[in-house]
Amino acid sequence: MKQNNKKTSRSGTLPVYIVLTLASILSLFPFYWMFVMATQPSAAYNSIPPTLLPGGMLIENFQKVLDTIPFFQAMWNTVLLCTTVTVAVLIISSLSGFAFAKFHFPGKNFLFICILLTMVIPPQLGLIPQYYLISQLGWLDTLLGAGVLFLLNPLGIFLMRQYISQSVPDELMEAAKLDGCSNFRIYRSIVLPIIKPAFATLGIIVFTLVWGEFLWQFTVLRDPSSYTLQVALASLNNAFRVDFGMLLSGVFWATVPLIVIFLIFNKWFISSITEGSIK
Amino acid sequence: MENTQTQQRVSSAKVSKMSEKKKDMISGYLYVAPFFIVFGIIGLYPAIFSIVLAFQKWNGLGEMDYVGFSNFAIVLQDPLFWKSLYNTVIIGLMGTAPQLIVGIILAYFLNMAVIRFTNFFRVTIFMPYITSMVAVALVFGVFFSTNESALANYVIGWFGIDPISWKTSEWGAKIAISLMVFWRWVGYNTIIYLAGLQSIPKDLYEAATIDGANKVQQFLHITIPLLKPFIILTVFMSTVGALQLFAEPTVFLGASAFNRDEAMTVVMYLYRDAFNLGSFGTASATAVLLLIIIIAAAALNTWLTSGVGNKKKRGVK
Amino acid sequence: MKFKKSLLMVLLLSFSAILFACSEDNKSASSEEKVSLDFWVFGATNYESLAEEYEKENPDVEINIKTSELGDHHNSLFTAISAGTGAPDLAMIEVDQLDRYREAQDRFVNLYDLGAEDIKDQYLDWKWNGAENGEGDFLFGLPTDIGPKAMYYHTDVFEEAGLPTDPDKVSELISTSEAFADAAGKILDATDKPMVDSMEMAFRANMDALQVSYFNRDDELLLSESDNGVKEAYDYAVELDLQGYVGSFEMWTPEWANALNKGGFGVEMAPAWLKGYMTENAPEGAGKWRVTTLPTQFAGNWGGSYIAIPSETEYSEEAYEFSKWLLSPENQLESFVDSGLFPSAPEVYEMEEFKNNSDEYFGGQNTAKYFAEAAKQIPEVYKGPKYVTVNNEILTALRNVQEGGDPEKEWEDAVTRIEGLLKK
Repeated sequence: MKQNNKKTSRSGTLPVYIVLTLASILSLFPFYWMFVMATQPSAAYNSIPPTLLPGGMLIENFQKVLDTIPFFQAMWNTVLLCTTVTVAVLIISSLSGFAFAKFHFPGKNFLFICILLTMVIPPQLGLIPQYYLISQLGWLDTLLGAGVLFLLNPLGIFLMRQYISQSVPDELMEAAKLDGCSNFRIYRSIVLPIIKPAFATLGIIVFTLVWGEFLWQFTVLRDPSSYTLQVALASLNNAFRVDFGMLLSGVFWATVPLIVIFLIFNKWFISSITEGSIK
Repeated sequence: MENTQTQQRVSSAKVSKMSEKKKDMISGYLYVAPFFIVFGIIGLYPAIFSIVLAFQKWNGLGEMDYVGFSNFAIVLQDPLFWKSLYNTVIIGLMGTAPQLIVGIILAYFLNMAVIRFTNFFRVTIFMPYITSMVAVALVFGVFFSTNESALANYVIGWFGIDPISWKTSEWGAKIAISLMVFWRWVGYNTIIYLAGLQSIPKDLYEAATIDGANKVQQFLHITIPLLKPFIILTVFMSTVGALQLFAEPTVFLGASAFNRDEAMTVVMYLYRDAFNLGSFGTASATAVLLLIIIIAAAALNTWLTSGVGNKKKRGVK
Repeated sequence: MKFKKSLLMVLLLSFSAILFACSEDNKSASSEEKVSLDFWVFGATNYESLAEEYEKENPDVEINIKTSELGDHHNSLFTAISAGTGAPDLAMIEVDQLDRYREAQDRFVNLYDLGAEDIKDQYLDWKWNGAENGEGDFLFGLPTDIGPKAMYYHTDVFEEAGLPTDPDKVSELISTSEAFADAAGKILDATDKPMVDSMEMAFRANMDALQVSYFNRDDELLLSESDNGVKEAYDYAVELDLQGYVGSFEMWTPEWANALNKGGFGVEMAPAWLKGYMTENAPEGAGKWRVTTLPTQFAGNWGGSYIAIPSETEYSEEAYEFSKWLLSPENQLESFVDSGLFPSAPEVYEMEEFKNNSDEYFGGQNTAKYFAEAAKQIPEVYKGPKYVTVNNEILTALRNVQEGGDPEKEWEDAVTRIEGLLKK
């Protein structure tokens, strides 16, 4: 990585650190509070003024969660679902993005606008017809049924199109073609390595989206053995007799793996485009 | 040996000049096909179903009755529909517009080579998007409690403002929800901008530095123009997202979400019609209206953004 | 040759998707002999453990229970019933949700066809009749629990106001709506605390007792009829508020829970299911709260459910047999003891274990007795499919009044909004 900025003095960066630190604190606070609640008895949830320091019920609350729902199985289902959907979205988006960025074919712009338009249908209303479709296809209670909806990701295609058109040089493609590379070969050995950072971005967005989504998964997954985390956690939330300590413990521990995954993906962000294109 | 290869290459390039175009065309169609196949399976039918439903009276269980445009008439004459549209636009402007500006700045900071701990900052700034809505609702609920000693009221007290009932007053609810929307999505946009910044070749900055351009000039003349496709993308997505706002207000207002009109959004309005009132016809009519509004707003915003900082026409083709 | 590869890629993708689906699917094959019943429930029940017991007694039946939160449960049930596919064999339906299915009678099994007439006598009449259609020849579901309302009162608040704290004396003193307001006056004077937590509760006091409220059986709006009781209930709540007897603790909010915990108001008019919530979330209120009977004119029901059998099921007989067993008086007693589901079979009220039940949280009082008394006085009501939405508009009006709105104008605005809603 060539660092043109290195010459600038360090003193100018102080305001930047202040802004970033402030943003981090504001961003982290609710997460911290979730952790605090996960260590407290249920009644702490309602206390005024609010409790700000962790209590001693971290393990006890989580034990209650484990006794009430099949937490680890749900987590396994969620990991499976999120991974499959993410990989599929990355493949679909990068292929389409590649096509939109680098090939000329009739109707290209029309198709691209069609993809963007699919974003504007309010998801809440499609619930009943979509459910009907999934049940007719026999996909109720399957991870395919729970995941197929998320494969439609216009953001992914847009992101990939933009990234590829800016960071994959046409000359490189021309040269590869002269060498007799097929388009798929170009995709695999030239495009894929270059767009790694974009993969990391889109991957983490999709993964998180699927991890946190509730309504659709809840509607499609009815058999407890197929439950994902959000669906399983929902049964902890029972207004007439809710234990907030347990509920937030469940929510907290269901979020921790996401952070771990984010940290792993995060390394990919660092690899800048220079590594990919100029070997 | 080398010679023959070059010869081969040249000749094959000549021979397949025509078919190369065709091959690109076929590849193009083939590569976009997966999306459209999935859309054909799961997306198309609900879309058509919703449009058909807009002209029917249906409670979700019994027979459908064709009623022509009367669902549209009912919705357009309902003051609550207009109120919800107004709310949606106001919250959209307050919650999403600042997001994009702050997002660019944060992304720019995170992309600066001199800044250390960027890994850490990247994770924390993205955290709100990861944090579960249950926790978010809890924190914002306590912060903007109706209680007079609530933290938010304490803070505005410094500026000599009287306590506000954050969940039931016209502007209180809108401001609280806008802040929640801002907080939740700013990291998301930052990450997208970061991807955009990384697609900008570094040598451009080097050249600019050699030419004697300072940081602000570089930001305005290199970063912003090259980031523009990503800005357009986020503007488009934020417009759509803002007009489809549903999760944040329902979670923030809790049990009374569908009873009050201070922060009822259009999607909440149609959700209430469908699932609380059993009126899927008017709900679908509202969805169709919303669709038209979203397309218009997204087109307008995208057009406006395309004009911003138009140095070199390099944006969306 | 170049595109063959890409074609292969696409094929591979769709293949892996299909494979993925199949690998998830092969568990249903194992139970060929057994009758497998899907049963959807919501909230805290002990049906899981009862079902296990049933499975032991009937080895050829297997019961899969899905538990969800109230709102989610009814949404997914509605989606399944509406789409006509994927509904369970048995489903718990809350009383306010039942009405929306009346028009879709054909989506459910008529339990009278399965011999439900024989067990009718076991249950409270008003509860049983609530699950019948208008003609009385179709039964949607069997009664699970009910929600007879009683008066929870905070003894410290009562004591400070110079009111009695013994349950029987309290019910003797507060036996009419006027006496209720008088007591509220004393509490306000002595403690500066409201009697009732929120406008909703003040309104519900009379509302839950109304036999006829917003709609008749033909779902015509009755608010403009002169003898309609809704306006009276509204006026009573407005009157209490005017005197300062009503707080602004909206149910289920942290402020409300905090007030329950600390005794921020005098009484809560609620069914037995509130006990579970209080025990868990208002620990400081332990020993401070007691339960007694409400004035007769406030006697009403709030909540409770039925178990219905969607007509999609292949095993209506088996499903009926199971629900009959599950809701028998003996098992209702168990559900009451384990999960606080208040029995709809009056026989249970005479059982020893029920009579001797005592609540630690309520200072060892036998609260069940008061709920049981209330259960017998409840009128048969018809609410109609749009009850909740219409009711919400009136509640909005009441909250506006509390924030300073003019009662008559708010009422008229609410009626206008309701008329608009009903056009949809």
